[in-house]
Amino acid sequence: MALDRKIAYIDLSTGKSEIKPIPLEVRKKFIGGRGLDAYLLFNNAPQGCDPLGPENTLIISGGLLTATCASATSRTHIMAKSPLTGLLGSTNMGGFFSAEMAWADFHHLVITGKAEKPVYLWIHNGQIEIRDAVKLWGKSSTETQWAIREELGDQEIKSAVIGQAGENLVTYANVMTGIKNAGGRTGMGCVMGSKNLKAVAVRGTMDVKIAHPLEALEFNKKFIEQITTAKVNKTQGTLGTHFIWGATNSWGGIRTRNFQFNQMENADELEPESLDDIATETMGPYHMTGCFGCQVHCRAQYRIPSGPYAGIYNEGPEYTSFGAFGSEPDCNKAETVLTANYLVNQYGVDNLEIGSIISWAMELYELGIITSKETDGIDLRFSNADALIEMIHRICTRKGWLGNVLADGGIPASEKIGKHSFDYLIQVKGMNNLHSDERATPGLALNIATSSRGSDHLRSRPAIDLYHLPESVLRKIYSSPVPYEGPLSSDSMEYIGKPWQVFWQENCYMAVDSIGICKYHTTFLGATLPNFEDWPRAIYLNTGLELTPKDIWDAAERSNNMERLFNLREGLTRYDLVKGDMLNHRYFDEPCLRGAPDVIGIMIDRKKFDVMVDEFYGHHGWDKEGVPTQATLTRLGLEQEPTHLL
Amino acid sequence: MAIENEKVSASESLRKTRTYGKVRCMNPSCMGRLEPAPGSMQITCPVCGMSYRLFWVTPELPRIRGPVWEVNRKLAEEVMAKKKLEASKDGSL
Ligand code: SF4
Ligand SMILES: [Zn+2]
Repeated sequence: MALDRKIAYIDLSTGKSEIKPIPLEVRKKFIGGRGLDAYLLFNNAPQGCDPLGPENTLIISGGLLTATCASATSRTHIMAKSPLTGLLGSTNMGGFFSAEMAWADFHHLVITGKAEKPVYLWIHNGQIEIRDAVKLWGKSSTETQWAIREELGDQEIKSAVIGQAGENLVTYANVMTGIKNAGGRTGMGCVMGSKNLKAVAVRGTMDVKIAHPLEALEFNKKFIEQITTAKVNKTQGTLGTHFIWGATNSWGGIRTRNFQFNQMENADELEPESLDDIATETMGPYHMTGCFGCQVHCRAQYRIPSGPYAGIYNEGPEYTSFGAFGSEPDCNKAETVLTANYLVNQYGVDNLEIGSIISWAMELYELGIITSKETDGIDLRFSNADALIEMIHRICTRKGWLGNVLADGGIPASEKIGKHSFDYLIQVKGMNNLHSDERATPGLALNIATSSRGSDHLRSRPAIDLYHLPESVLRKIYSSPVPYEGPLSSDSMEYIGKPWQVFWQENCYMAVDSIGICKYHTTFLGATLPNFEDWPRAIYLNTGLELTPKDIWDAAERSNNMERLFNLREGLTRYDLVKGDMLNHRYFDEPCLRGAPDVIGIMIDRKKFDVMVDEFYGHHGWDKEGVPTQATLTRLGLEQEPTHLL
Repeated sequence: MAIENEKVSASESLRKTRTYGKVRCMNPSCMGRLEPAPGSMQITCPVCGMSYRLFWVTPELPRIRGPVWEVNRKLAEEVMAKKKLEASKDGSL
């Protein structure tokens, strides 16, 4: 059965591993994927552990429905204590890796310890081997994957690997699989590097017994129809996530020049439609590729058109790369974005974080807080594309004073640079914000301030109200599976009712990450895409597990509380600008200067924001400090944690 | 079993509300539905004056490509000037 996939506990210090089943009770409580990872992390990583020490616990998992007959369920989730934030580290990537791991009999790998020299894990049909990776050290993310296939003589092997950024302990290094699937937030590649773990290679040919195979396939057809007929997915399948960048920039919801502005004007060359003319192989329905079991195919394939990397093949770039290497540093050439996107994929580093940190350094340079002495002569002004590319190389290889300092992440770098540099760092919990500007959307501002892994648009993102739907439609979505009669406004610029939306979406995405589905197949992109009510049948037909929408909601709420408990244990406090649920002062003090007429002059209202946080904590059953009350823990069955049941 | 087979979920029932051939004005409080002529490359919102460039994903599915930059800049400057004037009047500037 799909439910039979196991947990492998691997200690890289001793070279020993142990395989355990996942009891049904634990499945029902945490579902799988991210939810169960949160439970495993809380119970296995010791309080206060060094993120780069052997005791940090790295967990790699697939979701409950991964490798079944349910489409778009091959997300891989990775969790550990984050070297970037010192709090919850958690990241999620697409591709084929977790499906292959499930066919090899595993749903979760719990990796502790540190190997003496570089190694990689070879996991195949229930077997676990630790193999020498000295020859792989120094290779890029794609080279590593090819070298492993070559060495083991099987082109079907899927590997989750680190590039040079992970080896060099850049605190926001990625885990990569395929050309561009990136577990790219909170530095999970850095944790792998600290363990001398270059890669995890998997290959599986074991049967997955589906509970009701014919019905599962039949039901999946309905699901596919629901997904592929959505307007948003037709656009996504033609232009990729890049289209969201274009749309957001239209009304002034983007960040540019390190948050000084909220729209990149005259950005025509960066618009998704322009790329067909620029890159030699990109965009359009026939140049899109996708993850295992997906019918949307949201990512473009391209060749870099000119410059030193001309002709090189790559995939993407996503919304985030257009923000990180286009709007944020104010570089308006597509070639810059395409080149930088290729480099970060090969080095294995978070495009969002590196783009933000370089743009922050650009503002510091223009303000005179850092000078050409610190930059080793690089003219680090905004719009200098050569400087941007050079800084990517320097950070990933820790070259030069500034490259080395920025490789440690924003908060440690601000401590070293000093001189109010922290004030210009646009971050939450030590993680840089997405390249969008949330001042005109208080719900999104609340979302990024309170998200469990630092500023984050993938943990809640109550964006359905951006579609300007009638309130009745919003109520239909947000009143299931738990009835909600409080205020709800379909105005995206409102504060009223937004805490419920953030809370609801938070549970929704925890469920999504636990089942293992791609967010583009859920309410992330629109009201007509599946959510709680649609998942139980897919789960039942594929696994035989009977869960109601409310059961899934409860498991998600429980798992969100596990993440909260982990963060509180590691030092989160509500108003702390470094480790709390707070936003940079620019959100409250500096108005939007560009965009649509309604957006001009807008800021976040500090008092209303505070009320939203109170309300949000209230929905969770947390006190005014954001700590779960005893009643909440008891209601969710978490009063005995840590339990070490697994 | 606990799973209801034929019940239509909220997301499924909302599929009926999907509209093709139209875009929404992206000025947050305006949101007017705009119906561009098939194949047209530009449209102006009659309510708030925002002008947009268009792209056709399919012949039935238009999307806003981006604003017409000059119009966008002009409207933004007008709003900023008005806000500054109001602020100077009520003493907050
Ligand atoms: S929509 Fe995109 S990211 Fe999601 S599964 Fe499909 S190809 Fe992968
Ligand atoms: Zn309008």
